[in-house]
Formats: sequence, structure tokens, C-alpha cells
Amino acid sequence: MAQLDIQNLVKRYGDFHAVRDVSLTVADGEFLVLLGPSGCGKTTTLRMVAGFIEPSAGHVKLGGADVTLLPPWKRNAGMVFQSYALFPHLTVAQNVAFGLEMRKVPRPDMNRRVEETLALVRLEGYGGRLPRQLSGGQQQRVALARALAIHPDVLLLDEPLSNLDAKLRQEVRVEIRELQQRMGLTTVMVTHDQEEALTMADRLVVMNEGSVRQVGSQRDLYERPADKFVAGFVGRSTFLDGTVEAPGCFRTEGGLSLVCAGGTAGKASLSLRPERLEIAAAPLAGLDNCLPGTVEFVSYLGAMIDIHVRLSPADRLVVQIANREGGFTPDVGQSVHVGWRASAGQVFNA
Amino acid sequence: MSLVVDKPRGQGWTASALLAPATIFIAISLFAPLGILFRYSLNEFVPSTKTMVEALTVANYVKFFTDPYYTAALATTIKVSLLVTVVCLIVGFPLAYVMARTQSRFKHLLIIATVLPLFVGNSVRAAGWMVVFGNKGFVNASLMGLGVISKPLEIMFTENAVIIGIIAVNLPFMVLSLQSVIEGIDRAVEEAAFSLGAPPATMFRRVLWPLALPGILAGTILTFILAMNAYATPFLLGGPTFKMMAPVIYNEFTQKTNWPFGGAIAFILMSVTLGLTLIANLLIQRRSAR
Repeated sequence: MAQLDIQNLVKRYGDFHAVRDVSLTVADGEFLVLLGPSGCGKTTTLRMVAGFIEPSAGHVKLGGADVTLLPPWKRNAGMVFQSYALFPHLTVAQNVAFGLEMRKVPRPDMNRRVEETLALVRLEGYGGRLPRQLSGGQQQRVALARALAIHPDVLLLDEPLSNLDAKLRQEVRVEIRELQQRMGLTTVMVTHDQEEALTMADRLVVMNEGSVRQVGSQRDLYERPADKFVAGFVGRSTFLDGTVEAPGCFRTEGGLSLVCAGGTAGKASLSLRPERLEIAAAPLAGLDNCLPGTVEFVSYLGAMIDIHVRLSPADRLVVQIANREGGFTPDVGQSVHVGWRASAGQVFNA
Repeated sequence: MSLVVDKPRGQGWTASALLAPATIFIAISLFAPLGILFRYSLNEFVPSTKTMVEALTVANYVKFFTDPYYTAALATTIKVSLLVTVVCLIVGFPLAYVMARTQSRFKHLLIIATVLPLFVGNSVRAAGWMVVFGNKGFVNASLMGLGVISKPLEIMFTENAVIIGIIAVNLPFMVLSLQSVIEGIDRAVEEAAFSLGAPPATMFRRVLWPLALPGILAGTILTFILAMNAYATPFLLGGPTFKMMAPVIYNEFTQKTNWPFGGAIAFILMSVTLGLTLIANLLIQRRSAR
């Protein structure tokens, strides 16, 4: 395993910038997740690290060595593809052995390493099967074993869980993460699924439109999003549009005057996390903001209940409450009060 | 209690009725002539009256294999067909690969361009080649005009002209067979091989070739059969002394009106073609099944 350095990486297709000046360092043994909507450049970045796409500018360094100009077969990067890309005409053992054959590992060593790697992904005894005889989850594990068998400098995962059903995905998530920590694998994963990103990563990189928007831990991204995009993409936010009249003083488009934390004068959005808001039938005391409103929509999610509250003709909020026994659950059309501390909201100037 | 056999829908009379027309057509148009021809091939031919006499003899088959004129024609046909097939495969694979993998919006134009030569009949195309290959044709005139050669190259009425001509006819079949199969191979499988350390040549040998094998087989068989049975191209481009099987058979039927012998050669050609195809099929499948 080794440290991966991405320096000022750029990929242009004609006038279109798929990736603009991305710089990242993945420490030895770190699990970094590239998170973003489709078309944000995360996959292009990963494919440049793997060597499938030649960057327009910038460098990729693996363990300190510049591999920018090396073809994929001369880099020691293990890749797990979204479609798994197993060799359908080879058995599971032959699939796992493929990279070792390319490295001219002697036969006895090779067999031992294939066995070891299959045991690692709990597929002992499956070596003689063909990929099509395995379930989706097993195929995924073969793909992982094949990438790990070559003892790669870096493990690259391209949306590895998107073809699994929801229940299996949760199990595999934990499995991959435990394996990665146990073996100290330097790993880069690409995903658009934020829950997946949050459960697996040491550090996350949020990308949009080809650029890195924010790098940080789960807590950093959630509590201190760098911009409105991150606030909306990581976790859930409801936004009230309006203007900051003076630092600490926000007026919504619907004319509501709110106390906010900081902000500079001008057009802005106030971002609020639905679960940080409080809701009650009577006015709430001790909060910086408390506003009357009407319940417009209730969605019952089981453990949680989402309540959409209209504060003014132009302003609507989502409040999320825990579904506790005997807790307050308003009905549609009911008059309620919504309140929050100034510190619960974040202002993003437009 | 009555015994009722529960048949799934569409497997009763309806299905039979739908299958019948094609089945009957094939039976009448393919097997009936073959049967009659085979029976003819066992008859005797009286050269003086140019008539067929009912008999049961293998003399026509013996005659073919004992006369070097005919065995040479068979050898030439096999040689040309093998060469054509190999060249079509080597030339066709890269083209098919590019066509299968391209993201270009002109992809459909590329496919049409590949098929376009088939819109022209074989004899018309051969006539075109005659203009290109002739002593004062396009190739020789250009090369002599440029001073590359001083006297015209002998291309017309040679084996090479025939080979080039048949390749031009058969290449589209090879390319389309390969392209459709390569399109079904996930591009990520190639990338997986690269990322595991396989350079392009190794990737091709270990991954692309075995996965494309069904298309390679289909294209090879199609090309080989078409070459074995080529008529217009060898007839027009090969000239009077060049002999391939299809023109020889035609000659027996029409010029000599020797139906028994013509029938025998036709059966020999068909058997050899089928036999070689089956052998190639078995060899390739056994090698890939290891």
C-alpha cells in the first residue's frame, strides 16, 4: 500500500471541463470517498488514477512515483468495476489468478494466494465455479478478491455496490470497510450514495461540476458545509431564500424576519437541517426564532416523521421529528409553531 | 376420470400451423433438389448422345478423384478459401472492433458503408475489378504514370485477382459477424485485464479473443463457405485457365450437359465444405475449452 497524490488534475473534452484542477492526497491506509451527483467528474478522476483516461494536465503519484504517463497495466492499482467486469469465460480461481499470472508469480505461490484471497472474501470452495453461477453479491466479492490478489498500491472502487439490492448493500458496506481497515488498504471509492459514503469513508470529497467543493470528515461536511451545494447534497437541508440585512439578521422572500448566525449583507439562502427544528402546538420558549405556521403535508417514514410547514406564502420548511410514543404529531391543516436556535442554521450568500 | 394433457398455449395446432410454411418450403426447395441431384450423381452419362442413363454407380466420384484436372480445382478452391478467410479475419477484426466500440454519431454510416458493397451484384463488382486490374487499368496506369513500374503488373486473370475479389465480397460478412459479438462484450472487462497488468496483446489473447470466439466462428464459417462456392468472381477475374469448383460444376451442367458428373462434383464440394467447417469448429472449440 502506498500514498496516492493527485495534483492539479484536469480533464477537458473540447470545451467541456470534466475535471477542473483537482488536488487530493490519500494517506497510506486511508479510505477516501469521492461523492457527487452523476456527471460531477468523480468517475473521470478515478479513471485517471487507474490510467484509463489520460489527464489533460496534472499529475498522479503512487507511493511518491509519478505514474501520470504510465498505462494502466504498468500501474499497480486494483480496480473494482460497477459491473464487476469478471472474465465470464474463466473460473473464479482463474479470475483471481489473472493478475498474478501477469506478474509471473510461480504456480505454487499463485495457488496459495488465490486460496488466501478467496478466504478473505469468504468464498472458499467457490474457485471452480464460473461467474455466471454466482449470485450478484458473490460476483462482487470475486471482483474484490481479484483486485486484492495483486496486492495493489491503491484500491479503486467505482460504485461497487450500486448493483446490489438494498439489504445486501448494507452488509457489504461494512464488510468492505472492515477488510480495508484490517489490511490497511489505501482506497478511493466513487459513489453518488451519501449514506454509503458516510458509513465507509475516513474522509470525504464532495465534487460538483468537475471541481472539489469540500474535503473533510462526515462531521465537517454535515455540520460545516462549505457551500449551499454541499449543504443540500450531504444530509438534508431546507432552504429559505432571502437577504441578509445585517450580520445576524435575515429577511425571507416572504418577509419573515429571522435571527441567523453571521452572514454578510446581500442575497442569501438560510439552510436548516430538518431534524434540528422543533415543532409544537404552542409557541416555543427559549429559542432565537419561533414562527407560527400551518402543516401542509405529513409523510410517515416509520422511525421518523416529516412535516412540511408553511410559514408564509413564499416560505415552507421541512421539520423531521422522531416517532416517539405519545409524541407530538400534527395533522394536515393544523396550526403549529416552529422554532430553532440561530446556530442551527447556516447562511450562504448567493 | 378422463386424461387431459394440459398443453401450454401456443404449443398446439397454432404453433405447428405457423411453422409449417417455412418448413415445407425448405423441405421442397432444399432437400428435394439435393435428393434428386444425389440420385443423378449415381447415374451414367453417355457422351456420344449426351444423355443420362439410369444406373447405380460411383464411377462419377471415382472419375473426379482420379483426374488431376478436377483434384487441382478442388485444391485451388480450398487454398483460395482458406487464404481469403484468414485475410478477412485479420483485416476484419480491427475494423469490427472500432465499429463496435466507437461512440461516434457516424457509427450507423460506418455500418452502411461496410454493407454497401453488397448492394452491387457479384458480376457487376467483378467487372469493376477488371477495370481496376487490367493492363491499362487504374492500378497499372497510376503506377506507370508515377514511374514506379515500367511495364504493367500481371494482376488480371491471376489467383491474386480472384483472392482480392473474393475478399472484397466476403469482408462485410466477417466484419458484421464480429462486430455484433464484440458489441456484447463489456468494455470494462478489457479495462479489468489492463488494470490487472495485461498489456493490450495479452488482453487480446486472454480476454477479447476467447469472448469473441462465437463471432469469429460465425464469420469464419460464413466467409469460408461463401469463398468455397464463389462463382462469378473466379469466373470473371480468374480467366479461362484458372479453375475453382463452382465454375467447373456450372461448366459440367451447361456446356457438357453431364448432369451425373456435375451432380457428383456438387456433392463433393458440399461435403468438403461441410467437413472442413466441422473440423475447424471442433478444433477451435476444443482449444478454447481448456
